[in-house]
Amino acid sequence: MQRWPSWTLAWPSPDLMLRTLGLFLIAITGVAVVGASAFAPHASDQSYRALLNAPPTAPHVRDDMGDWHAPFIYPWALVNQLEQRYEQDRSIRVPLVWLSGGRLVQSSDDARAPLLLLGSDSYGRDVFSRLLFGGRVSLGLAVIAALGALLLGASVGGLAGYTGGPADDVLMRASDFVLVLPAMYVALALRAVLPLVLSPRVVFLLLAGIFAIVGAPFFARGVRAIVRSERRQDYAVAATSLGASHARVLARHLLPAAWGFMAVQITMLVPAFIIAEATLSYVGLGFPDPTASWGTMLHDASSVRVFGDFPWLLCPAAAMFFVVLALNLVLERTDITVRLKPDATYK
Amino acid sequence: MVATAMGAACGPSRTSTNGNAATNTAPGTGVPRGGNLLVSVRNEPRSFNRLTARETTTDLVSNLTQAKLVRINKVTQEVEPSLAESWTRSEDGRRYALKLRSGVVFSDGQPFTSADVVFTFKAVYDEKTGSSLADSLQANGKRLRVMAIDPLTVEIAFADPFAAGVRLLDNLPILPRHKLEAALEAGKLGEAWNLSTPPSEIVGLGPFVLSAYIPGQRLVFDRNPRYFRKAPDGSALPYLDRLTVEIIPDQSAELLRLEAGQIDMTHSEILPEAYAPLKRAADAGRIKLVDLGVGLDANSLWFNLKPGAFAGDPRAAWLQRDELRQAISLAVDRQLMADTVYLGAAAPVFGPITPANKTWYWAGLPKTPHDTGAAKRKLAAIGLTDRNGDGALEDARNRPAQFTLLTRTGRPDLERGAAVIRDEMKKIGVVVNVVTLEAGALADRFVNTGKYEAVYYSPIATDTDPALNPDFWFSFGSAHLWNMLEKTPATDWERRIDELMAKQIASPDETERKKLFDEVQQVFVEHEPVVYFVAPRVYVAVSSRVTNLTPAISRPQTLWEPDTLAVNK
Amino acid sequence: MLAYISRRLIFAVFLVFAVSSSSLILARLAGGDYVTESLGIEAHPETVEQARARYGLDKSIGAQYRDWLGRVVRLDLGRSLLYDRPVSDLIPERAANTAILAFTALLFATLIGLPLGVVAGSRRRGPGGAGGPGGVIPGVIRATSLVLLSMPPLLTSLFLVFVAARTGWMPIAGMRSPGEPSTGLTLDLLQHLIVPAGALALPLAAMFERLQAQAMAEAIGAPFVLATLARGVPRSRVVWRDALKASLRPIAAVYGIVIGTLLSGSFVVEVITAWPGLGRLMLDALRARDVFLVAGCAGAGSIFLALGSLLSDAALALVDPRVAEP
Repeated sequence: MQRWPSWTLAWPSPDLMLRTLGLFLIAITGVAVVGASAFAPHASDQSYRALLNAPPTAPHVRDDMGDWHAPFIYPWALVNQLEQRYEQDRSIRVPLVWLSGGRLVQSSDDARAPLLLLGSDSYGRDVFSRLLFGGRVSLGLAVIAALGALLLGASVGGLAGYTGGPADDVLMRASDFVLVLPAMYVALALRAVLPLVLSPRVVFLLLAGIFAIVGAPFFARGVRAIVRSERRQDYAVAATSLGASHARVLARHLLPAAWGFMAVQITMLVPAFIIAEATLSYVGLGFPDPTASWGTMLHDASSVRVFGDFPWLLCPAAAMFFVVLALNLVLERTDITVRLKPDATYK
Repeated sequence: MVATAMGAACGPSRTSTNGNAATNTAPGTGVPRGGNLLVSVRNEPRSFNRLTARETTTDLVSNLTQAKLVRINKVTQEVEPSLAESWTRSEDGRRYALKLRSGVVFSDGQPFTSADVVFTFKAVYDEKTGSSLADSLQANGKRLRVMAIDPLTVEIAFADPFAAGVRLLDNLPILPRHKLEAALEAGKLGEAWNLSTPPSEIVGLGPFVLSAYIPGQRLVFDRNPRYFRKAPDGSALPYLDRLTVEIIPDQSAELLRLEAGQIDMTHSEILPEAYAPLKRAADAGRIKLVDLGVGLDANSLWFNLKPGAFAGDPRAAWLQRDELRQAISLAVDRQLMADTVYLGAAAPVFGPITPANKTWYWAGLPKTPHDTGAAKRKLAAIGLTDRNGDGALEDARNRPAQFTLLTRTGRPDLERGAAVIRDEMKKIGVVVNVVTLEAGALADRFVNTGKYEAVYYSPIATDTDPALNPDFWFSFGSAHLWNMLEKTPATDWERRIDELMAKQIASPDETERKKLFDEVQQVFVEHEPVVYFVAPRVYVAVSSRVTNLTPAISRPQTLWEPDTLAVNK
Repeated sequence: MLAYISRRLIFAVFLVFAVSSSSLILARLAGGDYVTESLGIEAHPETVEQARARYGLDKSIGAQYRDWLGRVVRLDLGRSLLYDRPVSDLIPERAANTAILAFTALLFATLIGLPLGVVAGSRRRGPGGAGGPGGVIPGVIRATSLVLLSMPPLLTSLFLVFVAARTGWMPIAGMRSPGEPSTGLTLDLLQHLIVPAGALALPLAAMFERLQAQAMAEAIGAPFVLATLARGVPRSRVVWRDALKASLRPIAAVYGIVIGTLLSGSFVVEVITAWPGLGRLMLDALRARDVFLVAGCAGAGSIFLALGSLLSDAALALVDPRVAEP
């Protein structure tokens, strides 16, 4: 065993620190996304026709001669339209304006030199603003759908693992059916049956429902396996013999044993749902343009040019990474040893 | 028969392409022989039978392995002899006698005669074959009658005078009777030459023969040593030894391979987004980028003008009116559309014929300015004004002015164009709901159910001569987008266009045809059933080892003349 | 045991049948049919009607389904409308290609993800349970996995294709080189496998790694591990033999699903890297509304899932005997 200096024992455990970091990241994301109207310099559908795929305008405080100023940006000048090449015009300083028009920060000459913190996309829209507004849609959808999938899948899997026998078979085959039926076919058929113009709220609910159903089998399988083996364990048998109802045994003892597995699955499903939303909009069942969403932003960006020429268009992928990291830090718990924990509340 | 000889002397001289194109080297001299050209296509072929499958890859296979009676030179847009070395037209304009080349043999050595021509027509028109070509091989809705006068002469009779004449025959690959007659007798020609057919069975008169097909991956073609065409200096064609067609479904992968030199050319044209990396590769000398100028096709917006389509809908009063479409044409800034959708590489167009169609474009076409004030006045004339000062237009009952615009997913140019239309119309107060549908769903709505309000799409004209697109121009046509298959013309102007087109198709005098068609365009633009915005410039890219390229603006830009392509070692 | 297997097989047949039927019906409901798509929007109505009659597409859904059913029980899967070849010819050749890709990816993913997961999970303990997180290595592994998990498969494939193009180390797309490859057929295939299998394997490896790390960390905390350590068994043996066996449960459970979804859901990778597989075929069939091919592909996908499911349950029983008890 290594020797650690005694003062390290006074620190909170690294697990706790990491979890706090995760919560902190989630909090920042939540605030940024909810307060998008204030934090974003532009509306999500505001486009600048002369600035398609323009690089980010980085704020400076020192100019080329070494003088200090209030934060400002240099505007972009179009060099070649077809090649989408821009040059920074360092002779003009465009100062930033704070707390005006309901927005935290903007450029003072918004029409000709807008503040593009993360550049612009192929329609000339500010990527940073769309990232914030899009986060509302994507994260909201993905988190709700993941929770729905968790509830549905854990119930089905837990039930199947606990009862066993023919009910187990039927439930598992039903979840296999959902798993293997290509979601695209269902989406296409749905599209044909639904009215042409769908409000964003309807689309949201529809997608959340579809994703929850499609994601449930991933939980069901693993939970079933864990519950099946755990129910033979001493503590579970003990709880049953002490008079705990099936539901209680399932909910309080067996399912928490599957928590580790479920945590990993959540961190996998959230980014998958964000992307799936873009795939479904290919069949016409997504959020209509110009509603921003991370999935469609990445989909628009997906061409070979993005890696060499327009890397800022990949910001939603970086944002997704941070969300996944935060979720993972918060949810992954390795200090659960549920099996040894007694339950003293039976009477 | 008084002859109006149209033989080897074709129309106007070849116009040059602009840009750094590698055009013809001195005929015959210095064109390298041999080598393997690698071409990429996006889709698997559906069949090797051009009669039943019409998508691009099957068409490519047919161009490579089969030949036609006449060929339309895509650069000059004029008809040239191919299997038929000359032809004469009867005085009444209904009969054409084509003299076939002698000494031509199929790739398996069997001689080519007029019997093969008659057989091919019979196969196309046979109902059991189910060929889609049967529809395009008609003049005025009536089929052609084909007779073999002698083994080297064929007479083609049109039911009514048809001025475009033999131009129609560019659609028809001549099939080998000795190979396919049995299938036709059994009524199974539609299934013949499907993808399971061994390549050696695919016999034709074209410059190449199919030597291998690996499903999902590639097709390999070897040169046909018995090909009939010769180079201008008399030497044998084609110059290439082999042509390999790779199937690469994704555009990004295709472009990367082009840049890396792993393929020599792509079958389809280059989109503007791909221009920059290709320009870099061109500057480095690895590829040649050719700018062919503004193209023939423009994306189009049309409304459902079928009478009664909106019965019961309160918007029926204004949704089908000319003024709405005219207002859209005035309100949308075409330069903005060119900038946003094609990165500036497009020119505004105002009618179905673009300036790239040198023979038929009407220079007097009025050019609609970008004028939002005039647009608003047009809309006010049909009852749409801003009655409550909220910036949006309403009708007399205060219902907001809005309509649904359908377009296709998977086509960035269409999606972006629709977005531009939506944003521009929002500026004058009309709400446009853009709904993107998958291709099959869109076609279903448009063709089968007819339940749509407006569509933004890119139908492609098959030929530059309007006589070969009767389905679009005539009111009873199946491609008369805004109101297909009308039993009688629904409006006076459609009736006028029907009359003018009927005369235009029959008239033997080219000047009169042009005059008539100018008037057609004038009537069309006045009522604007379809609104056109911009026509993109066409770019093609080939690797630097390709020579003797003759790029043309119509599809397939680089592969319409595969027998004269060559590669440097 | 025999009863169990036969029951699973019956269920598998039922699953294949249910999925194929549903796909057929869904494709029919989706609006548009093969004829509209293949003849184009400008086709004459008579031609369209004749074509519909020829393919049998003018009948009602019920009648079409009954016809299809009648043929399927005779093991005749119909003729693909799109390619005019029997469906039973088309699917095996594409399925074989996808199987090669999927198994290679699975192999990569297991060989990379599992050991890394064991390493990451087994080093979580510091002194007194409240000490250091076990070092930098597990942290790096965890971070890499999270990056790979959050990357969309489209971007991963594009990125690998891009890298292949820029460096020239690997073939960019396709399954085999045109012409005679200088390095021999097998090596050529392996070279072409690198990009697509990599694109599929990396996120999968990340998932395996996370699952395994999680399960490993829990297994390490079990009393039997402490007991074994106390008996003097070296730590590495405890980790790699005893704790590993106890921790394979979640992965064994998930393996089946992974096989099933890999084989039918790899279409993004197949499209970008031009790999001629089942996923791409399914997408083309759907776009063209080739109902018979659609049903066939969905059926094939469900066969793979059923097989994978059976295999994974067998693996589970092997790994954790507690599961097998009825």
